[in-house]
Amino acid sequence: MSRLASRIAWSVFVVWAVVSITFVVQTVLPGDPARMVAGAQARPADVARIRARLGLDRSLPEQYVRFWTRLVHVGPLDARAAPDHTSCAVIAPLRGGRSLHLDFGKSFQMSQPVVDVLVARMPRTFALALVAMAIQLLFGVGTGVVAAVKRDSWLDRVLVSASLLGLSVPTFLIALGLQLLFARTLRWLPLDGFGSDLAEHARSMVLPALTLGIYGAAYYTRLVRDEMIVLMRSDWVRTARAKGLPEWRIVVTHALRNAMVPVVTAAGLDLGALMGGAIVTETVFRWPGLGELSVKAMLNRDGPVIGACVIVTSVAIVGANVLVDFAYARLDPRVTGRRAGGTR
Amino acid sequence: MHSIPARRKPPAALAVLAAWAAGVGAALALADLPGCHQPLAAPIAPADADGAAPHRGGVLRLAATQDLRTLDPAGPADSLGVQAQQLIFAGLVDLDDQSRVVPDLAESWQVEDGGQTYRFVLRQGVVMHDGQELTADDVKRSAERALHPSTPNPNASYFDGIAGYADFLGGRTEHLEGVVVDGRYAVSFHLSAPDATFLSILAMHTLRPVCRTGGSRYVDTWLACGAGPFRLEQDGWQRGASLRLVRHDAYFRPGLPYLDAVEWTFNMQPLPQRFRFESGDLDVLRDMTQADMGRYRADPRWQPLGKAEADTNVFGESMNTRMPPFDNLEVRRAVAAAIDREHYRLLSPGSVSVLTRLIPSGLPAYAGGEEQRYDYPAALEHMRKAGYPFDPATGQGGWPKTITYPINDKGLLVYTAQVLQQELAKIGIRIEIRLMTWPALMALQQRPGNVAISPGGWGMDYPDPSSFFEPLFTTGAIGPESTYNSSFYSNPPFDALVARAHRELDVPTRIALYAQANAILCDDAPWAFTFSSHKYDLRQPYVRGPLLHPVWGMDPTRSWIDRTGTALEQAVGRPR
Repeated sequence: MSRLASRIAWSVFVVWAVVSITFVVQTVLPGDPARMVAGAQARPADVARIRARLGLDRSLPEQYVRFWTRLVHVGPLDARAAPDHTSCAVIAPLRGGRSLHLDFGKSFQMSQPVVDVLVARMPRTFALALVAMAIQLLFGVGTGVVAAVKRDSWLDRVLVSASLLGLSVPTFLIALGLQLLFARTLRWLPLDGFGSDLAEHARSMVLPALTLGIYGAAYYTRLVRDEMIVLMRSDWVRTARAKGLPEWRIVVTHALRNAMVPVVTAAGLDLGALMGGAIVTETVFRWPGLGELSVKAMLNRDGPVIGACVIVTSVAIVGANVLVDFAYARLDPRVTGRRAGGTR
Repeated sequence: MHSIPARRKPPAALAVLAAWAAGVGAALALADLPGCHQPLAAPIAPADADGAAPHRGGVLRLAATQDLRTLDPAGPADSLGVQAQQLIFAGLVDLDDQSRVVPDLAESWQVEDGGQTYRFVLRQGVVMHDGQELTADDVKRSAERALHPSTPNPNASYFDGIAGYADFLGGRTEHLEGVVVDGRYAVSFHLSAPDATFLSILAMHTLRPVCRTGGSRYVDTWLACGAGPFRLEQDGWQRGASLRLVRHDAYFRPGLPYLDAVEWTFNMQPLPQRFRFESGDLDVLRDMTQADMGRYRADPRWQPLGKAEADTNVFGESMNTRMPPFDNLEVRRAVAAAIDREHYRLLSPGSVSVLTRLIPSGLPAYAGGEEQRYDYPAALEHMRKAGYPFDPATGQGGWPKTITYPINDKGLLVYTAQVLQQELAKIGIRIEIRLMTWPALMALQQRPGNVAISPGGWGMDYPDPSSFFEPLFTTGAIGPESTYNSSFYSNPPFDALVARAHRELDVPTRIALYAQANAILCDDAPWAFTFSSHKYDLRQPYVRGPLLHPVWGMDPTRSWIDRTGTALEQAVGRPR
């Protein structure tokens, strides 16, 4: 329990540090966010008025404090009805007609509450990340195991070469190839976009998920193959064979389970990164998720959106790390023992 | 005991080779498909090849690489927003296909008090998208809404000539004194000084009347509603994805528009746009790669269907008149004479035009007159007069120091910078190109003493020469904090000429005044004018009627669709 508390405390610190660094970096970068809103040719008087409206005429410490104090605060139950809370979302009702608000502010560029933008986009990115990760693991682990079991065979070499190719080809080229084949030539799937109902969302997700899946699967193939080869030579595998256990059982329950420790580490980090948005893939496929949003926000100096995206991404990565830590314990009980001993 | 099977000797090298060959082959095939060797799809034929008369019906489908920020005419604008707003909002005046001011919601107008009062008589019976009739009160309310200090309007100061603007902006008055309702269908704008540019500025979307649902103050969440030919459909704007506007059946011009709807898809890259265009899922192609543009322009089937948009922007090399060596008039003249503009044009012949004076061809009434010409011997002579003679044979002489030339790190300027570097080296001016982000470049250019020479560029805000002369070259444009006069050019006789032209109501006299101002600029050369850029559009043959507009980019109010069958039916079986 104390380990969990310390992990969470450390995670909060990491998120705070990342967001603070981002805040400082974007303020010292040349370029005026108000100018980006007003347009390249807007007159200085109009830019100044917009700057004041965005609150950018306040001092930097004032903006920083305001950002954090507004992020989570107590406000009225009906958030949007109150003039000072039009960009808030209620995250928990409190006693006395009050509630806990989450407020990232309003997007400079879109003039929308950032919370609303995130609520719309996060499920899309999360869904894409989960499906892509499932494809990566399904294909990557499967082909890795086959390549290891059939080591030095022609199948192994083909799979290893294919995985090397998958790693070498840039994501946008994989995306383009899939678009050409499945959307333009065969017309089986939409070229890009998000669709307007659940069935269309699902159809639209296939190609971007496959793009991310192919790229990631290649990595997991190599990772699992290398791990499995080492493990298959270990003493306990030899012992298991000597006991006459079937080969499939040795592979699945003995070697693969141990090989999954580094896979879980990598998958946890990958999933966290994917939750922050797959920038290239989302852009090529016009998948309206967090990746596309964060790139545009950076280019347009849209501070509230940048801050929100950084928080979401860092929380996702830190959260994934925590989950990975606990997943170790399930895969390898020695981890818990070692760490438990260490903390005592 | 588990037996380890004897490994068969695999045809390892063969397998690896085969896998790689398959991969490389696939990659090459993919690279080739959108590339130079695949023939372009044929245009999709119209239903009536002879060109039927305009008829109602059809949906015009468009795409854009960028996103739409707002539909509110009082909000931050961008090129895409301008196109959509032009369809949703009608103004008192509009611009025709020659960029001339024409009546729109106003039936007529009178200019009084020597150009200090503009009195408009509105059309009667104009029905807005909410079903209400447009009145003069709506005009005043919309103007006050757009110019209120709480509105994030980036164009508000264009209207600072309206009487009482300062007090209204400062919150000292509740209403804008200079906008006066003279009756249910009459409204006057009183200005603090005569202004010949007012009608052109009024044609911008900023003050266009909005429905009563828009209220008297700007609100982010308001759904766009005006009196234009198309209205925003319920849930028609999916932010970040698409926009659908449908015909306003009660539009005040009978019979128009012809189209049932106009749809945009946003954030679509040029290649997917091309794929959709060729399969008939997009009707107009506006964003294309350089390679694709060359191929379409070279294809006789597509040539008649392509059209270059008007040149409404100017680019040049901005020389800081307060920094050496460009504080020397002869050096600036040498630069202006040393640049062969044709070399700039050849970088992108489909989208670049040579520019030799300030006003681009998109403003035809003012686009003639004196020009800067490429004259290499003259350029060398100017360098000699400046005291920096250069010998092309030996490469000796010229300006002794290397000058930093900052540019934005993407787009055409990356290439034009290299052309400039080579042109200036021929007269003994050596520049070093430094890449930076666009915000950084802007920040650098807007302060004096930062940069001696840099790329200058400007797009026409409203169709009047003042849109170019005043922000780029007048002394008044040089502010303490920032300026677009990046050459920090200051010439009182020039300022006086431009100020006089700003007030002059007689068009031939204005043309003559701006011609004089242009001649001064060409000779003083704070900029070496180089090129204008424009978009090149392709449309499928079944898209009929006028479509492009020199200022708004696109205006399909009088376009119609002459097509049968679905996109897929037409695409399948077409000759490829």
